[in-house]
Amino acid sequence: MPRPEQKPIQLTIDGREVKAFEGSMLVDAAKQGDVEIPYFCYEPKLGNPVGACRMCLVEIEGIPKLQTSCSTPVKDGMVVHTQTDRVRHAQNAIVEFLLVNHPLDCPVCDKGGECPLQDITFGWGLGRSRFIEPKRHFQKPLALSPLVAIDRERCILCYRCVRFSQEIAEDYQLIFAERGAETFVATHDGHPYVAPFSGNIIELCPVGALTSQPYRFRARPWDNESAGGVCTLCPAQCNVTFTVRDDRVVRVLARDYEGNQEVDDGWLCDKGRFAYQAMHADERIISPMVRDGGELRPVSWDRALDAAAGLARHRGRVGALVGGQASNEEGFILQRLMRETLASPDIDSRLAGAVPAPLARALAAPELQARVSDLEFAHTLLVLDCDPRDDMPIIDLRIRKGVRRNGVKLAVASARPTALDEGATVISRYAPGTLEQFLGELDSALVSERPASELPHGELAELLRDGGSDVVIVWSERIGDKAAATLLRIVDWLGLGDHPGAGLLQIPGGANGRGLREAGVVPDAGPGYATLANPGRGAAQIARAAADGELTALYLMQADPVRDLPDRALWESALHSAALVVAHASVLTEGLREHASVIFPAESHAEKEGTVVHPDGRLQRLRIAIAHPGEVKPGWAVLTELARRAGADFAIERSADAFEQVVAAVGVYEGLTLDELGGHGVRWPERPQSAPLRGAGSQLPPGAVAPPPRAVTAAPNGALALGTYRPIWAAPEVEISPSLQYLVPTQHLELSPADAERLGIENGDQVQAASNGTRLSAVARIRSGVPAGSAFLADGIAEDSANALTEPLIEVRRVGEMASAAADDEPGAA
Amino acid sequence: MRKILFDRIDEPGLNTLEVYERRGGYSALRKALTMSADDVAAQITESGVRGRGGAGFQMGKKVSFLPHGGMEKYLVCNADESEPGTFKDRELMQKSPHMLIEGVVIAAYAGGIDRAFIYIRGEYELQAEIIEAAIAEAQRAGYVGQRILDSEVSVSVVLHRGAGAYICGEETGLLDSLEGKRGNPRLKPPFPAIEGLYHGPTLINNVETLCTVPHIINMGGEEYAKIGTETSTGTKLVSISGDVQRPGNYEIELGIPSREIIYGLAGGPPEGRSVKFWFPGGSSAPVLTADDLDVPYDFDSMAKAGSMLGSGAIIVADERRSVLEVALKVAKFYAHESCGKCVPCREGTNWTHKMLQRIQSGEATPMDLDIMASVQEQIIGNCLCVLGDAMAMPIGSMVEKFRPELEAEIEAARERADAAALQDVVPLGVADEHAGPMPVH
Amino acid sequence: MSPQVPRFDHGSRVPGWDEAVDLTKDPAVVPDPATTPVPDDLREEIEAAMAKYPDRRSAAIPALHAAQAVHGWCSPEAIDQVACVMQLTPAYLSSVATFYDMLETFPREPHHDVYVCTNITCSMLGGDELLDALVGAAAGDRSIHVRSFECLGACDIAPMASVDGEYIGPLEQGDAETVVADLRADRPVMPAKQIRYRQSVDPGVQPGAEEFTAPDHPTRADTAGLTPEDLQTDRPGPSAPIETPPDQTRDDT
Repeated sequence: MPRPEQKPIQLTIDGREVKAFEGSMLVDAAKQGDVEIPYFCYEPKLGNPVGACRMCLVEIEGIPKLQTSCSTPVKDGMVVHTQTDRVRHAQNAIVEFLLVNHPLDCPVCDKGGECPLQDITFGWGLGRSRFIEPKRHFQKPLALSPLVAIDRERCILCYRCVRFSQEIAEDYQLIFAERGAETFVATHDGHPYVAPFSGNIIELCPVGALTSQPYRFRARPWDNESAGGVCTLCPAQCNVTFTVRDDRVVRVLARDYEGNQEVDDGWLCDKGRFAYQAMHADERIISPMVRDGGELRPVSWDRALDAAAGLARHRGRVGALVGGQASNEEGFILQRLMRETLASPDIDSRLAGAVPAPLARALAAPELQARVSDLEFAHTLLVLDCDPRDDMPIIDLRIRKGVRRNGVKLAVASARPTALDEGATVISRYAPGTLEQFLGELDSALVSERPASELPHGELAELLRDGGSDVVIVWSERIGDKAAATLLRIVDWLGLGDHPGAGLLQIPGGANGRGLREAGVVPDAGPGYATLANPGRGAAQIARAAADGELTALYLMQADPVRDLPDRALWESALHSAALVVAHASVLTEGLREHASVIFPAESHAEKEGTVVHPDGRLQRLRIAIAHPGEVKPGWAVLTELARRAGADFAIERSADAFEQVVAAVGVYEGLTLDELGGHGVRWPERPQSAPLRGAGSQLPPGAVAPPPRAVTAAPNGALALGTYRPIWAAPEVEISPSLQYLVPTQHLELSPADAERLGIENGDQVQAASNGTRLSAVARIRSGVPAGSAFLADGIAEDSANALTEPLIEVRRVGEMASAAADDEPGAA
Repeated sequence: MRKILFDRIDEPGLNTLEVYERRGGYSALRKALTMSADDVAAQITESGVRGRGGAGFQMGKKVSFLPHGGMEKYLVCNADESEPGTFKDRELMQKSPHMLIEGVVIAAYAGGIDRAFIYIRGEYELQAEIIEAAIAEAQRAGYVGQRILDSEVSVSVVLHRGAGAYICGEETGLLDSLEGKRGNPRLKPPFPAIEGLYHGPTLINNVETLCTVPHIINMGGEEYAKIGTETSTGTKLVSISGDVQRPGNYEIELGIPSREIIYGLAGGPPEGRSVKFWFPGGSSAPVLTADDLDVPYDFDSMAKAGSMLGSGAIIVADERRSVLEVALKVAKFYAHESCGKCVPCREGTNWTHKMLQRIQSGEATPMDLDIMASVQEQIIGNCLCVLGDAMAMPIGSMVEKFRPELEAEIEAARERADAAALQDVVPLGVADEHAGPMPVH
Repeated sequence: MSPQVPRFDHGSRVPGWDEAVDLTKDPAVVPDPATTPVPDDLREEIEAAMAKYPDRRSAAIPALHAAQAVHGWCSPEAIDQVACVMQLTPAYLSSVATFYDMLETFPREPHHDVYVCTNITCSMLGGDELLDALVGAAAGDRSIHVRSFECLGACDIAPMASVDGEYIGPLEQGDAETVVADLRADRPVMPAKQIRYRQSVDPGVQPGAEEFTAPDHPTRADTAGLTPEDLQTDRPGPSAPIETPPDQTRDDT
């Protein structure tokens, strides 16, 4: 839908002529004229102003009463005074009232030095109070959650935190309780405020009432330095500021006050905000290690590199996997190493699902790429086979914003109920593993002449077709090739490429999945989707080949396939069979612990230099915020040195050299410089150099894939169709961050009330899920939104991960029944 | 005196449709439906009727502010009568619920509205039951619901019960409460006529105001405007209570001298006593004294006298009453009822209450009266809604008009406190026999 | 020192000013109907309330009222049940429940509510003393909850009280025992002083006293069968002449 137009106008503030956009709030317009109006409750990120703090009262000519400038839209010719006696009297009054119950314990307050209340009291208060009655007293600080401490004495009830919970995250866990002067910020019945975005309230708090448990008392603002960076813990790639003290990251904040509108809108998830602790955790790998006598031992770089240089002996028989945290440069150098030096084309970065290169290239056509801000202004938004809250958390907030503020019509099509279901206009649910059929039916429904009510998914088709031209589809890389082909046909049919506000936003499996793909870290395409004379094998085939002995060495660049990829057993066998396993890692996850021969300590995103690509095509720059801890060395340097020892000189002396090589190799990046990327990055699909990839969608042969017949979803014996998902907290960084321990996911089996009843399972029961002889334990979680016949398990987690199960159907039993049931099973068991 | 709303109000069974119809009820609705909606609105405008809830805003203007067009619009009847001293709507709703319903339907028609809500304070259980029953009756008889009296007009009426919060009488607080939230007032603009309930344009009127609507339609706006004064037309229900002999609701013509209400109708204070001060329009109105008894009782004269007509609730205090006691009740009430959203109201009402408590406990000096006056000044005009002002104005007026008495109270309270403290001093040597608890503050 | 704000002292219920959250609890998200049992009657009542509004959240107050009637107060369990039916978070409802005076957020059994007005007019005429008397009369009886209330909108019968929603007044201190006795005996409370029978004092409204012989308001079950004889009163009752000035109970000192 069209974005609001901005009409420039002029007004007078304190005698100065100020230019502003019509309808913007006076307090913002005043900033344009270098006039500062104090405020506490106003925060445009939180939506409409509430006018609660009354700090921003100003005098407007023609209006008898003082007005709150946070809620007064400017008009042409308005005359405003912010320095009159009346205004000053009101400001003094509000400061005095605010301090009536504020403890003024600044010397022991964590906010001291960066506290708006301190600043405003100093700037706009009288510096005295006439209040001699006893103040409100509370116990303090109290835990609001393991991450947030609350000091209710300091709270000025500005509404920011509760508005965030209620109107931005929409989790509605944080509330005001009671009324009047007795009001306080609370949760229901002593439950902690635990939600994926809860940490934002710390940053919003204009006083020291909400403080970060891990940051409390670690530093004073004047001890700190700030460094801009990009979080690479998930594909959202939020722009962050690292607060650095003594070369350690002690805090992570959203980068700009208003955030990068095109990336994160100024919010962070708790993983991005608090998992920085993994950088300085004892568990982090900070020196090279080599397996020696069956055990990994710290060694010198020289020895580790020499050991890894043994890869040269496996020429042609090396397979490589690249995890999402790798930068474009690292991926690029590694694919050179693999292809040029080791003659091994078997390299893959697609950990979630494999879309063949021509299709991937077609889906990446620049005109099909939606911007993040398009989520907010689309007519219709389809969330396809993913749950943004788990897969790319920050866009969950963006989608909610679009639905809430702009009336975006949201459709959710997924097997598992998503966090966005509540705001959805249409929800299409299909059985796990039947996405291809679903898309096929949707495709037919779109072109069908029959009324929507008669067709499967007719309502969704109608919404996509008739709901307005700006349709944005958010989809996950894990949907696989057949589904992706159908998706492309739907996209063509809907003409998403013809509308600037329409398009696709793919959530890759890894944080930099898109950048790695563009850098050529896929088996069937070189940098910039270049066609390869000699394509290699993808991840699944690499595992098979390694297990079968066809590949004898594996290179794991910030990836542990035992943790990250499907078919755990096969990968274990592959790693076990490989003679040499070289890995870059910062956490010793189970696959590496058991099987790695050489481990190089990997950089964190606060230490890395390089570039990554946001799912919407934005190249973003990683900068060095802190020195490398311990023996950690830059990934590009390690790879280059390794190549040298294997006999190749890549001519890379600095990270920037690697970037230049990437730019030279990837056509659509042509001419880009690091300076041009700057702080907010550059979206290559918007550059003229992207032309060669344009129209790639329509070049695909039509009717490539016909919808396959509907699969059997539930076997007669009552087995359940298994769907998997990766929880937001499933990350090794979370596991070693002390304050995130309570979030480390354990296995839960989500099933429908009907199946639970049939199987005699109650919520919270211990259950076992089994297929093909593999069993794993889980706690039952009965969810009304789960369709009967489906069950869901988490993968990417440390224990009982669903990647151990390989079959589409599982048997579920309550633990305790197993003993008797096992006996019954015997005769039929294979 | 002419009775319009209270005409034969005690007639048995008036709350039933049968009696109401027998007395000519719903004839105004029938008449209105023969007119265009704009004509009905014009009649209301012509009548000059001003809102009876407290603010005294012209109802006709409110209707005219509603945008035309097909969007969902709402009518909300404010029956959250909770201004201390006010109880007129209670009697109207209890005795003549159909008059209200008829007014609601006509007003909705005038505004092009098809959904109406009556927000009644939760404490009015009897009245809620009566209205609920009356809505059901009216619905069965075709006065409410789809295609009213076979016309194209549809108006649904839903009774919504509150749960005890003064602030929900404030129109935007009421809207939030009706939407199922805490009853926090909203920023204005946007005014409810533009963006109100569920973001739709909303017409909000008090019970008494809506009850006048059928009469305006029946007698014609021009005729109605002849009653009362030029700027305060019509009759008004006055709730009078406190130190008077005949407390209750009286229907008066606006503009009669206040003395006539307090002494003539309500009988004045009990034998041998005289008026010391009085609230002319609920506890939010600055107090007036015996000197002001001849001020005409209408919107403008009251404003001129430095107070306000408000909801038309007179509370009379005779010379036995302590200003401090009343001020303390007023401050405690507003501190308790402040929603807590905006700073000056939340902190100012609470602070004022604490200061008054301190005066009472003998810990204040006359200087505290200056601070109190200044705090009231700091509240007035700086709040999100009128609740802060509603405390600051009467408290301010009491400090201003009764300063010598308050200073004397401060003095007397200090003496009392000192005497009490002395009593607790334990003489040396008797401590063992006198092992009472230490006095604690 | 200002009096301590009363808070819960019975464990980890609602977090008060001095209580931290219980970190062992799960976050309070929207309850899943599959795992939150709700009594059928309550569910139906809440669903009926939701159906009356364009936005289901408007039914929050009626729904909490209904749950309070079942549980005696807006207990965490009651709130969970409402939250489950309305598909809102329990915190949303906690926030609403703590805002309104009539919604109880203190643990109580199902009980009779006695609200005693202690606002300006009532307190001038003896409301505070009446409150003390009623508290005293009901002392120790957990089935009767006497509390002070702000203006109930019946200053004409000051000092007054609302007993389970029935307004009675003017009351004298001596009436406290009667109120409590009536409640315990489960009979209409002081019918003679109920506002439902009170007639207008405005001298202009009555066309003739003979027309006003009996109360004819919709009566609830508890007052059905009440006859004018029951309404012995020293106030202008339904059959008393209107002109009598109601001044008998005025002198509260």
